[in-house]
Amino acid sequence: MHVHASQQLALLLIILFPLAGAVVNGLFGRRLPKSLVGFVGVGSVTVSFILAVTAFAELFALRGEGVHKAALTYHFYEWFSLTLPTGAEVPINVRFLMDSLSGVMTLIVTGVGGLIHLYSVGYMSDDDGYPRFFSYLNLFMASMLILVLGSSLPVMFVGWEGVGLCSYLLIGYWYENRDYAAAGRKAFVANRVGDFGVLIAMFILVGVVGSFEFADINAAAVGGHFRPDFPVWPFGVVPSIATVACLFLFLGCTGKSAQIPLYVWLPDAMAGPTPVSALIHAATMVTAGVYLCCRLSPLFITSDVAMSVIAVIGTLTALLAATIAVTQREMKRILAYSTVSQLGFMFAAVGVGYFAAGFFHVFTHAFFKACLFLGAGSVMHAVHAHGDADIFKLGGLRKQLPTTRWTFLVSCLAIAGVPLTSGFFSKDEILLGATAQIFRPDDVLMVRVGWFTLIGLTLAAVMTAFYMFRLYFLTFTGEYRSAGESSEGHGYDPHPHESPASMKVPLIFLGLGAIFAGYLGMPHIAPLVGWHLPSWWGGWMEASVAGHALPESMNVINIASGLAFAAMAIGIGSAWVLYRNKSEDVLAEKVPARLYALVLDKWRVDELYDAVLIRPIKQVATLVGRADLTFVDALLTRLPSFNARELGRFVSGLQNGVVQTYGMVLVIGVVSVMAMFWTPRAHVEGALEGDTLQLVAAPGLGYQYRWDADSDGEFESSWSTNRIYAPTYGPEDVREVVLYVRSRRTGAARHYSLTDQWTVLHFDRLDPGWRRIPSFLPIAARLHGGKVLLRLNGARVFGQTDSPEVVELHMGRGTGIENLLMVPRAKVQATVEVRNAFGNVSTASREMTLPDGYLPELHARLLPATKGVPR
Amino acid sequence: MTGPGAALFVVTALFAVVGALITVAARRPLRAAMGLLVHIVSLAGMFLTLNAHLLAALQLLVYAGAIVVLFVFVIMLIGPEAETGPIEGRLVSRSTAAALTVAVFLAVATSVASFDAVWASVDADFGTVEGLGRAIYRNALVPFELISITLLVAIVGAIGIARSRTE
Amino acid sequence: MEISAYLALSSVLFGIGAVGFLTRRNMLIQLMSIEVMLNSVNVLLLAFNRAYPSNHDGQAFAFFVIAVAAAEAAVGLAIVIAYYRLRKTIETDRATLLKH
Repeated sequence: MHVHASQQLALLLIILFPLAGAVVNGLFGRRLPKSLVGFVGVGSVTVSFILAVTAFAELFALRGEGVHKAALTYHFYEWFSLTLPTGAEVPINVRFLMDSLSGVMTLIVTGVGGLIHLYSVGYMSDDDGYPRFFSYLNLFMASMLILVLGSSLPVMFVGWEGVGLCSYLLIGYWYENRDYAAAGRKAFVANRVGDFGVLIAMFILVGVVGSFEFADINAAAVGGHFRPDFPVWPFGVVPSIATVACLFLFLGCTGKSAQIPLYVWLPDAMAGPTPVSALIHAATMVTAGVYLCCRLSPLFITSDVAMSVIAVIGTLTALLAATIAVTQREMKRILAYSTVSQLGFMFAAVGVGYFAAGFFHVFTHAFFKACLFLGAGSVMHAVHAHGDADIFKLGGLRKQLPTTRWTFLVSCLAIAGVPLTSGFFSKDEILLGATAQIFRPDDVLMVRVGWFTLIGLTLAAVMTAFYMFRLYFLTFTGEYRSAGESSEGHGYDPHPHESPASMKVPLIFLGLGAIFAGYLGMPHIAPLVGWHLPSWWGGWMEASVAGHALPESMNVINIASGLAFAAMAIGIGSAWVLYRNKSEDVLAEKVPARLYALVLDKWRVDELYDAVLIRPIKQVATLVGRADLTFVDALLTRLPSFNARELGRFVSGLQNGVVQTYGMVLVIGVVSVMAMFWTPRAHVEGALEGDTLQLVAAPGLGYQYRWDADSDGEFESSWSTNRIYAPTYGPEDVREVVLYVRSRRTGAARHYSLTDQWTVLHFDRLDPGWRRIPSFLPIAARLHGGKVLLRLNGARVFGQTDSPEVVELHMGRGTGIENLLMVPRAKVQATVEVRNAFGNVSTASREMTLPDGYLPELHARLLPATKGVPR
Repeated sequence: MTGPGAALFVVTALFAVVGALITVAARRPLRAAMGLLVHIVSLAGMFLTLNAHLLAALQLLVYAGAIVVLFVFVIMLIGPEAETGPIEGRLVSRSTAAALTVAVFLAVATSVASFDAVWASVDADFGTVEGLGRAIYRNALVPFELISITLLVAIVGAIGIARSRTE
Repeated sequence: MEISAYLALSSVLFGIGAVGFLTRRNMLIQLMSIEVMLNSVNVLLLAFNRAYPSNHDGQAFAFFVIAVAAAEAAVGLAIVIAYYRLRKTIETDRATLLKH
């Protein structure tokens, strides 16, 4: 239960400040001085951070008072509401919620974001699009905060789309470069594929739960509302609705958080400016997927299948990206694959059910990965590298860039998992979760997933340590390899210089975070010694995140810590041996060249997608385009225009100025009109005027009518211009007797032709209830002796208790049988003959069932005599 | 109606058709004008069978006396160029025009042939100067005056159009 | 004589006039064809008025037709003269200036 302490306006203001900054910089930035643009950009996020801290402090105080599920909310307004097919009204509220999960995420976003804004002031100072950049960046902050603070799926989705948009805008920030613009498009398209999954999941969830609020969905998941099976059974598997919804959600996460199969956009996203890579594509946006999984953790944990899929995909992503990172040559590219790999770690943690551990890695990763990216940016700034920096052209920068070097080293230690840094604690926690799965006695699937995850993640951890220190050694140790280049050519600046203070301060803060952030989430039991340590993180997250309990067994803890430590040691050690003070890629000489080339080429995944997906789609598009060209353009555009042109030519030929031609056209018109009126149009309708049945014929110029009301071939009236005729019918005029039956219950009606034989009346289609009541045998009707007889077969006349065998029905009068109303009615045929001024004649006739209200006493006598059906 | 009325109708109808055919088919305009004269005079005779005495007189006065004379004057004014060849225009359009027109009047003829109104007896002053004059002056005074204006405008217009502009 | 005879005669005359108007190129003869058509209508008007003699509407109408025919002939012939002055011909298929 959320505590609605008061309307927390701060939650709204946290979002509004960056939004206002974006609006100011976006609309007026070009006219404002550069310093003011930077002030607005950084200031708005700083205010936002301060507000976030105060809100968080209030939340913290609430927790201190012992409120278990403490949360701050701000209900802004009701956006709109929709009606489900069940008739339930689902309001969609713009409401913001800060609980323990979103509170931490808000702090990360505003804190790290603020530092990166500050860094950008220095980094982007030379760029022409300075205001545009800060406008986008602030817009991103606002969107990300909406994503984090939104209390329901639609509001979160607004932020989700908003960050996607900003990501696209910022990747393609230097849109003059075609490759960069293409990278932005790629990111956008990959994200759209994922967004589709989120939308589908949203619809499934609202269909099951009847609400978009996270709290309601989670409560429903805990309350077991997701038991029903999904109505589709692909491949004989019967997934639960929870599984389907979770898999679709995870599809969205693979897009946003760069997991297999949609990870391919993230490495290309490094085309954007480095602060963007640090903020969006390392620290915040790409972790939105993990955040979403944690947000809905009670839902995810109900589906073992979905959890296994997430764990396996996370592990595979971690491994694949790590192998690629080992071989890459550019700083930001290595860091990008490292990010993909670390995101894989997070999802693996989520997949084995340790959401808090996964989110803890989000937290620590935000610090050291942002620091690494900003360090890379600092290096690039120093050597004037545009876009990305080739580490084989760098080296020995520890002398020129001391601050950058130290913060970079600290972050490398953290990501590699050196003990007592933040990365050690978070990675240890993840491996602990995977190890705990192995020891679950009850579940074969989980045990297998646990083994796979543990082995995969350990290998990935080895490679993480290796490639990070490869990057570090090649960049900062040895000799500077571009010293001899002239600054005019394509090489780097021969005289690197340390970055300005606005870039160094964020580096230092983030470096400190990389070391110390981990102490919030120390393991609850220390390995080897078995001390119980205070783990603030686990207790804090418990309030809003579900998950398995952490294992207590010393075996498990020692195995996990040992593996983490060994991975770190092996990775750093081999990097030390291979790359310290080296200048060429030693690894390339030690592994088979073709394998190395394949990995360097990113396993050719992009090419695979190109061949399997993109090219077929393009071919279809080309085909459709041709069809458009040949069908739509030719058949639907050129043909009509050709027709119009030729018709115009023909008609304008008639306009020849010769009076005779005009006269001729006039005569043609006269002849046409005459041809149209040559024969009269005959049509007859029956109409009830009061108690009188009238036959009405269609009117026409100069028409005369004569009538044969019973269609016996003898006309009762002579020619007259009166087109309305009121006949009287007698028994001899009746052609057929029809029994009309209407169900009172369903409203459906049918009619049956009666003869002097018994006709069985089937009511199945009329009222499905008849078939289900076995006592109601088929009812039959016939004409007999001038009467309409109905054999009841056990059915009762409406309002009577006994059931006579046969009842008589009266013409034109209703009789209720059970819930059916039966009316026998007479059918006649009327004919009219029409003559026009040319003397031409045509006839029309119409069968009519005499209406219920047609002179009841007369109608009652209309039953044909004993012969049954006449004529 | 039989007797002298019927005989008069037959004769005048014959002459009217022949005159019309001459008008339409004559190669020379003057001959066509003479055909028109025959046509008009015979129609004036036919009007007598329809108790339209005043109109018969007017037919002779206006048509035969004024319009045909006007035609003849113009033919004289224009001279030999008033004559164009008898085979005029394209055969296709001519035959189409003829066929269509025949279709029209056949249609009309069949429709009127089945029309079976009978002659009613008429008052003594029906169609006389007195009767028609009373009808026009009582019921159609405004159109009558408008017709006089129309004729005036036509006269002025004709003079304006036909006046030579060279001088 | 039946009224239908008058009506048939009227349609025959009208047809002759129409054919003349449509097939002849001589302006004078076309004008005469128009007169024939107008006359055929007069026959129709008078015949119907004779069949329904309660008023003089048909005859009055024929009276007006004659007056209008006179005006039409005057103006039409004036145009023929003006055209002849201009083109030295009275063939209608040369009179196609309005086409452009």
